[in-house]
Amino acid sequence: MLLLSLDTATDTATACLWRDGDVLAESATAGRSTAAQHLLDDVDHLMRTAAVEPSQLDAIVVGTGPGTFTGLRIGLASARALGFALSVPVHGVGTLDALLCGDSVDVACIDARRGEVFCKGAGIDLCAIAPAHLAELIAPGTSLAGDGAVRYRELLEPAAVIAPDASPLHTPWARHHASLSKLWAAPEPLYVRAPDADRSPPARAAS
Amino acid sequence: MILAIESSCDETAAALVDDGGRLLSSVVASQADLHARYGGVVPEVASRRHLELCVPVVERALEDAGVGFDRVDAVAVTEGPGLIGALLVGLATAKALAFARRLPLIPVGHLHGHVASLYLEPEPVAPPFLVLLASGGHTLLAEVDDHGPGMRVVGQTLDDAAGEAFDQGARLLGLGYPGGAALERLARDGDDHAHEFAVAMAGREGLDLSFSGLKTALRTAVLAAGGDDAGRADLAASYQRALVRSLVSRTMRALEVTGRDTLAVVGGVAANGVLRAALEQECARAGVRLALAPLALCSDNAAMIASAARFCAALPYPEYLARDAYATA
Repeated sequence: MLLLSLDTATDTATACLWRDGDVLAESATAGRSTAAQHLLDDVDHLMRTAAVEPSQLDAIVVGTGPGTFTGLRIGLASARALGFALSVPVHGVGTLDALLCGDSVDVACIDARRGEVFCKGAGIDLCAIAPAHLAELIAPGTSLAGDGAVRYRELLEPAAVIAPDASPLHTPWARHHASLSKLWAAPEPLYVRAPDADRSPPARAAS
Repeated sequence: MILAIESSCDETAAALVDDGGRLLSSVVASQADLHARYGGVVPEVASRRHLELCVPVVERALEDAGVGFDRVDAVAVTEGPGLIGALLVGLATAKALAFARRLPLIPVGHLHGHVASLYLEPEPVAPPFLVLLASGGHTLLAEVDDHGPGMRVVGQTLDDAAGEAFDQGARLLGLGYPGGAALERLARDGDDHAHEFAVAMAGREGLDLSFSGLKTALRTAVLAAGGDDAGRADLAASYQRALVRSLVSRTMRALEVTGRDTLAVVGGVAANGVLRAALEQECARAGVRLALAPLALCSDNAAMIASAARFCAALPYPEYLARDAYATA
């Protein structure tokens, strides 16, 4: 079975071609708010490298976040459209679940902006919380990974173990999405947060 | 055969047009109800909805046309201007559809799309002409010489778009969002001379338009009038008359200045019956040929994007893979 997996929920867009447990080719492209836009460029490159045509794909697997809303949507829209055009199933896997596949990672932690991180693992259910709060929740020596852990290292590190910034543990490698077939679900976005318009007081009557 | 996708604001749309410019299907999923409770389009809410609707509207457009995706020769998509997050959903969908089959992608400007609503069979209108493009996001007068994306803007609104002025007027009159059509209905029972709203820019040089002063005048009048139904109908009728007079007088002047003998009218506001009637009357008097966009194609849709795509450069695979959207022209 030949899979294309991808994840654009964070500032590092990842993609992977996977056949029956083997990584044929994979990529990770970093760039705030631009990585997702280059997703298909990366996928095209992987396919050339592996000498694979889109029509040979058996399924698409996509990261469902949480992460940046726009990035997340680019990945999901691309995956759904590929699935439709190729008449193959599209499966979703949480981006935090992919990070938890990293070697001895206990809690996955994605930058949620606004002074918060999206996190999951070690008994913590998916949520958006302040890093200082997360530091209080975890046991000493807990291993954290993800761009949220990197960004808030100073707040988290007294309680947690965090690999160096350049460590691959902080990247949601798309090979993990492919391997996590037991978690495959519908490709629905995990926004976690409601749109701002739903969280603010009612708008004034007329401008 | 071209498959087109439009997602620049609060309409998720897909359409199929054949090589001869015949419309095979056009599906528009409006989000108006979703945004009504906010009193306007909320970009994040719109983007989320586009993601849910994009593939389903494409599927439906193919079904309605009775063809499979394998029959599509090129994928067209609105790349701007519009809400960036909303555009990116349509663009990602279009790029992936094209990439899956190595089809060309045709990026289309939204404003070119509105103009191209006139290029479809069975009664295509050919340039050259002067176009009045009036919608919720844009209001401009431009000279169009050919079917391509280029147009020379000779006048435009300095503040609100005409459709925005209709919607805001409706809101002031308690008609909810989007209220352009509701305002037109309410105005039918009113006296359009009950209030004398000044026609913005009247007597001023140039061809630009302005609507924000009119909105302020309506607000003042609404506060002064209290709230009975007859009073509201009079306000709606008078406000609409002022908006229409402003659009018509600027448009007729632009025809004089440019010497064009054909006027094309496109965009959501082109669906307004009072505007259509006023322009018919004025154009007949001035000996100008009038081409009004079909009612079904006035507000945002993908048929117009597919139509415009016939006259745009197609990007072959893989040139479009990193293509980006743009918010403003």
